[in-house]
Amino acid sequence: MPAQLALAILLLAPQLPGEPLRRLTHSQYNNAVRDLLADQTRPADHFPPEDFVDGFRNQARAQSISPLLAEAYGAAAEKLARNAFRGGDTNKLIPCRPSGPSDAACAGEFVKRFGLRVYRRPLTARETQRFVNRILQSGDFLKGAQAVVETMLQSPNFLFRVEREGSPYATASRLAFFLWNTPPDEALLAEAARGDLNAAGTARRMLADPRARQALDDFLSQWLRFDLLAGTVKDRRQFPQFTPELAEAMAEETRLLIHPLVWEDRDFTELFTARYAFVNSDLARLYRLPAPPSEFARVDFPATSDRAGLLGQGTFLALTSKPGDTSPTARGLFVRDHLLCQTIPDPPPGTNSTLPEVTADQPRANRDRLAEHVGNPVCRGCHQMIDPVGFAFEKFDAIGQRREKLKLTFYPQFGKESKSPKPETAEVELDTRGTLMGMGAGPAPEFSSPTELGRLLAASPICQECIVKQLFRYALGRRETAADQPAIDAAVETFRRSQFRFRELMIAVATTERR
Amino acid sequence: MRKTKPVSRRRLLKGLIALPPLEAMFNAAGTAYAATAAAPETRFVLWFNGNGIPERYWMPAEAGRDYPVTPCLSPLTPFRQDVHILSGLDNPAARMPSTGNDHHRAMSAMVTGKTFTGRGAGGPSIDQLLAARMGTSSRFRSLQIGVCQESHGDSIHRNMSWAGYDRALPPEMIPHNLFDRLFGARDLGWVKRKKSILDDVREEAKELAGEVGTEDRVRIEEHLGSIRDLERSIASLPPEYSKHVPAPEEGGDMRDYPRIAKLQSDLLVHALATGQTRVATYMLTKCQSLVRMPWLGYTALRHHDYTHTNAESPQAQRIMRDICRWHMEEFAYLLGRLKSVKEGSRTLLDNCCLLYVHEHAEANPHKNNGLIAVVAGHANNKIATGTYTKTAGTFGDLYLTVANEILGVPLDSFPTAQKKLPELVVA
Repeated sequence: MPAQLALAILLLAPQLPGEPLRRLTHSQYNNAVRDLLADQTRPADHFPPEDFVDGFRNQARAQSISPLLAEAYGAAAEKLARNAFRGGDTNKLIPCRPSGPSDAACAGEFVKRFGLRVYRRPLTARETQRFVNRILQSGDFLKGAQAVVETMLQSPNFLFRVEREGSPYATASRLAFFLWNTPPDEALLAEAARGDLNAAGTARRMLADPRARQALDDFLSQWLRFDLLAGTVKDRRQFPQFTPELAEAMAEETRLLIHPLVWEDRDFTELFTARYAFVNSDLARLYRLPAPPSEFARVDFPATSDRAGLLGQGTFLALTSKPGDTSPTARGLFVRDHLLCQTIPDPPPGTNSTLPEVTADQPRANRDRLAEHVGNPVCRGCHQMIDPVGFAFEKFDAIGQRREKLKLTFYPQFGKESKSPKPETAEVELDTRGTLMGMGAGPAPEFSSPTELGRLLAASPICQECIVKQLFRYALGRRETAADQPAIDAAVETFRRSQFRFRELMIAVATTERR
Repeated sequence: MRKTKPVSRRRLLKGLIALPPLEAMFNAAGTAYAATAAAPETRFVLWFNGNGIPERYWMPAEAGRDYPVTPCLSPLTPFRQDVHILSGLDNPAARMPSTGNDHHRAMSAMVTGKTFTGRGAGGPSIDQLLAARMGTSSRFRSLQIGVCQESHGDSIHRNMSWAGYDRALPPEMIPHNLFDRLFGARDLGWVKRKKSILDDVREEAKELAGEVGTEDRVRIEEHLGSIRDLERSIASLPPEYSKHVPAPEEGGDMRDYPRIAKLQSDLLVHALATGQTRVATYMLTKCQSLVRMPWLGYTALRHHDYTHTNAESPQAQRIMRDICRWHMEEFAYLLGRLKSVKEGSRTLLDNCCLLYVHEHAEANPHKNNGLIAVVAGHANNKIATGTYTKTAGTFGDLYLTVANEILGVPLDSFPTAQKKLPELVVA
């Protein structure tokens, strides 16, 4: 390469991007103040909610601090600091006994020790001095300490994760936020200070700690969009049994399926093939399973059932459905997007998305209506990838109940002028044959139930790699780029070689070399 | 000095019944918050609700001053001389190629004139461009107020105000939080203490900004900007606010959106009347709204579902008519409150300019041309009201006209703007 060209590239190229600066997520904020101040009030639950961007709530590029959020941080810091010193130093935040408001030594000890926890690194001399002065000038040691806490909790050094490359504190911080979803504790910081932090070894030990469970839950709730499940509404005339409690039970069922796979080091792809479920009595009734011996105990599926794993669960089946009916398109999209990491573009601008009306005179199944998509060249390209995946679930209704036929009800007050005041009903046969196109050479695999699709996904390298990518996006707070492919390949390799132990994958991602 | 009467929070929140005397909250010493002889400053409100409209029940058949009232416009009847109905607006940036569905594209294009980024809006929204010029002396540069808490999680659905590319300014959707921002009890000791703490926070942010790379510095600078805004909201706190307002209570049915909408409107009126801000956005429902509306008797589906389920049938059209009429009722409520506040010899509404917009015209086909808007208020006799115009401009044209001709805020350009809409302006 000519020297001028090299120089030009050097000058023109934007600064080599490192890992982007990340803000504490709301759940990390809650966990941080719980760990630092023993505060259990989860103040961040009342902050302006975090938006989903690129599939997660923790993506760096969406993490700004708007004036409204700055105000919320300010108000929370004020309250937390006040509570921390209500009735004296009840939380033992001050490690010494101050001789008076001008005890500089004790002030310094407190600032250094508490600051280390809050900023996840030792304070600089300037920072220490600033906070010590604050205490000395306050005329009241505890009042001063309270002001220090209030300041630190609003500082960008706390709210942003400033992780300086190569620093053992940065490693401790990254491991803790990813594996525990909270800042590093004293032991971890001490390890960093001694310089004997071995990322893989430390990660392995951290995963044995109960705090790792809260972090896994945080990942699952975003990857599988439990928020959408919690916000789901269903047509109450058809589904009176669908309540917020039932939706919460569904999310719990999903968590209970996944946790043992992770913590007992079992094959994670059982997520798609498990022939059992952890249900409470409401869910058992919904799925027509025998009642569990105790709430959320394991119940094995009868041989005739074609439920399996996540794809047979209410979580997936309900959150991808409309209020009154299933949507094979939404179910197919969820599989493509969340489980295969295949992005299907939205319809082009101005697409007419009207499908044929379903009337009492002309009752028909979704499959018939969606045939419109395949007949229309504008729609076909994408929808042939989506809809046939969803068809396999058509024997499960909008809240995840098994149905043999589609029962259509036409209520007099909506959609069509009625002849009689009573709802008209119709029954339609269901065809659940589906295909999964675009999965590599050879004919597209066929299936007709969650069990069969689950088996395909479990064995699919694309799905396995997608699990890795999703964890990677969550862990690093950004989408992967071409430069990350070697790291992802290595993590996939580790995951596979370990017989799909998710714990090994977490360690691989936790110790990925940052760019 | 005028003797001021304390205003209890309860009375404020019960503003549904009677507006409390705003004079009680005015800065007794200064002119900043009181009605003065000089023409008060004009305020701007951008008012949004999601999805689109049933055009047949919304658009009057004939243009001009004698336009017939349509079912969706009927709540505006008492304000006929206070509004200018517009149709025929174009949202061309929504047709530019970008990712996202029609709602995402339309939303970003409508408020910013820029295409959807795949995550958020492509630039600053019109209210922020105006706030940068109008909000420099008020306690809050701008306020973002929301009502319906819906299940949407995406940034582009949830926000209508954008500080810049992908930089959402979330709305405050909880009345007691908004009340606390505006009227929360403060005393001078608190203000002094808070200021000195923010001084230290600002120092830390400055030091940090000097240490990190370019991209990260942007993030820190944003935080600094927010801290400055926070400092300003504290610094310009009139002493009167500090005394009489007890801590707000929480609770009530947070899904009773008509109730929340009115509480938020009341607080917005107070914020504008007391000069705490001159620019606000009000997001009744989210983009691609998924609100279920039991108070209208429609519980089977949510708004967006209705717009695409047998949408052309007479029944579905009537449901959408009722939903859009509800939107308009809430807008009319706000107009009524603004009109009930005296400002000098006139009313607050006389000194406001409100824009009422949706992301689509007819909802089912996601129509991005022929959109409607309501321009309400008088902005010191600048708005030509009492008529319905079928125009042929873009949202950019509308914003540019509102900024330059109506609010008197010099705004050189806005994406998609090419000309002004003279019909809106008093000749």
